[in-house]
Amino acid sequence: MTDAMTRSAMAGCLISLALLISVPLFQSAYLIDVVTEILIYALFALSLNVIIGYSGNVSFGHAAYFAIGGYTNAILLTSHGWALVPSFVTSILVTMIAAGFVAYFCTRLTNIYFAMLTLAFSMLVWAIAFKWRSVTGGDDGFVGIRVPEIINNRAHFYYFTLIMVTAATTLLWFICHSAFGRTLVAVRENATRAGFVGVNTRLMRWWAFVVAGTFAGIAGAIFGMFHRGMYVESAFWTQSATVLIMTLLGGMFSFFGPAIGAATLFILERITNEYTEYWPTVLGCILLVILLFLPDGLAGLARKVRSYVAGSN
Amino acid sequence: MLRLIRTTGPIVTILAALSIAQAAEVKIGTLYPITGGGAIYGSPAMIGHRMAIDELNSQGGILGMQVVSVERDTKLNPATAAAAAKEMITKDGVNVIIGGLSSAVGLAISEVAKQEKVIYIATIPKTIQMTTNRRHDYVFRTASHTDFEGDAIAQIAKQLGAQKICDIQLDYAYGHDLADGIERGLKRHLPDAKKVLDLRPKLRATDYNVFITQIMGAGCDVVTSGLWGPHFVDFAKQASPFGLFQQIKYITGGEIGSQEIAGAMGEDYPDNVWANSYELWYHHSTQEHKNFQEALAKRLDTIETPMWPVLALIGVRMYGAAAEKAGSLDAASISDALKGMSIDTPVGPRTIDPETHQADTGQFWGPMVKKEGVPYRVMDPITYIPAKIIE
Repeated sequence: MTDAMTRSAMAGCLISLALLISVPLFQSAYLIDVVTEILIYALFALSLNVIIGYSGNVSFGHAAYFAIGGYTNAILLTSHGWALVPSFVTSILVTMIAAGFVAYFCTRLTNIYFAMLTLAFSMLVWAIAFKWRSVTGGDDGFVGIRVPEIINNRAHFYYFTLIMVTAATTLLWFICHSAFGRTLVAVRENATRAGFVGVNTRLMRWWAFVVAGTFAGIAGAIFGMFHRGMYVESAFWTQSATVLIMTLLGGMFSFFGPAIGAATLFILERITNEYTEYWPTVLGCILLVILLFLPDGLAGLARKVRSYVAGSN
Repeated sequence: MLRLIRTTGPIVTILAALSIAQAAEVKIGTLYPITGGGAIYGSPAMIGHRMAIDELNSQGGILGMQVVSVERDTKLNPATAAAAAKEMITKDGVNVIIGGLSSAVGLAISEVAKQEKVIYIATIPKTIQMTTNRRHDYVFRTASHTDFEGDAIAQIAKQLGAQKICDIQLDYAYGHDLADGIERGLKRHLPDAKKVLDLRPKLRATDYNVFITQIMGAGCDVVTSGLWGPHFVDFAKQASPFGLFQQIKYITGGEIGSQEIAGAMGEDYPDNVWANSYELWYHHSTQEHKNFQEALAKRLDTIETPMWPVLALIGVRMYGAAAEKAGSLDAASISDALKGMSIDTPVGPRTIDPETHQADTGQFWGPMVKKEGVPYRVMDPITYIPAKIIE
């Protein structure tokens, strides 16, 4: 066990994993679907946090990599009849290359210029998905993704998602807690000082971008198969904004914070939509509350509550 | 032990009774856009849907079971519609999904229906794909389709003696398929006509200025279009100051002849528009239509009733009749029953083709004209073009 993860955190992870494994036992199709989608969004938010929480840049275009992963996997599986493994691996590689290409330009800039350039590239991806109708289905979406028989069953697909998301999260955890992750934090805290001690800050930010994009691509590939369709909205800036809010809500200074944010926001949206059509208003209020009262998100709030309780004891 | 039985016995009985009561109902899931731009068509459709549910329940429900409506907003977005359809099936346990507005939404719901093996009756989406290359056992359509609509547009273009045609369609399934339908129709009815311009504004577009100037400069004598609902309203308001409708005749699908559009636009409705509608409140083709229209007028507290309720009503009636014929709520049995199913509707009888799963739904077509003392345009003369393509 590393010093970064306490025993209680490890126990929490194991309990969560046990609960997640037991979900199909409840025999509720709805529950399985909801948890599957939460897992996908959790991975998506965790990937964005590599850029935001660890390297200290704000991306407004993270949905682009989610969409690239989703569309590539959809096209290879359905239009070209590839098997799951080569299709999935290729979609990850394609996303990685796309993220590397975009990162080359974006990491030349910082702050608002970086954010705007990520937005510009993501809108470019959206425009390609929208206009390249013969390949992507355009505004109708890429409907009817062929899913291999082995996971063409609700419970099987759920376990496939759980395995992929757990593996990806574990890998991300190791990346973020490695020397690379710690160097990223150093760049985030003071890029000039990190540069003076010999860190190639631009290269570090490039890698952070590539890692984040690649894992978003994995989430997108699973998302497309889950919905049996990819839609242009997945590449739109609103999708990037949603995952950004998930990350902020959960807490960008905590590794698991964005996953908590993804689950909270997703469930809140489901509940709100059952009673009112004003979800965007609710979302706006949530954003206001985070920015004004919870800058460290729910994970930060939990930390404060824990230290308060420990203090009063 | 005896105490335990005494205590738990009534609880178990109540729970059992509740579960029986819960099982003894038919859940009809419905998806229409009731917010945003699509609400101009979706909200009236929802009223027709509720009318049909009330009608079924007043007649004893389906197979003696009460009919319950589960409603969701699609926001005119296929991704939202697909997620809502899935949620209605897995969480609410609906027996059928009825509705959809926009072909993209229809295709997305159809995919979920195929996956979950639940019947989907498309009451509004018209893309030909739904009943051709993307047809499956669980999808049926009571709306018209883009080939019928395109053929009707070509017939009117022939009547108007069109020679040079500009086509403007929305850039999604309905627009592309309608353009193809018009193309095929022109080959049948007006082979000498030449298409000089193809334009594709985005679905949910609001700015048409760039397209208007292109049409004005293309030298066409007829515009064929499928810009529907808010798209047409925005297009017409922006094109009128340029005099587009004075110079060029405009033939349009997308139910621009409906009261929803004519009433909403009032004096702004342009000249020289030939449009279609599934139903017209002022045109009683049958006694049943008169009764239906009066009931709708009473419910809405207006004489000038919208068109979309009848489509939603037909979808629910079709399902109810099929379930009664099948004698069960099993989706496969109802799918079999729907093939060849015939029902009476306020706009005449409707039969579903057993091969294509498509109802023989024709439409009313005609020029939209001003009438003395009427603050909105009406269709006159009205021609019913049946759902039939003669090669």
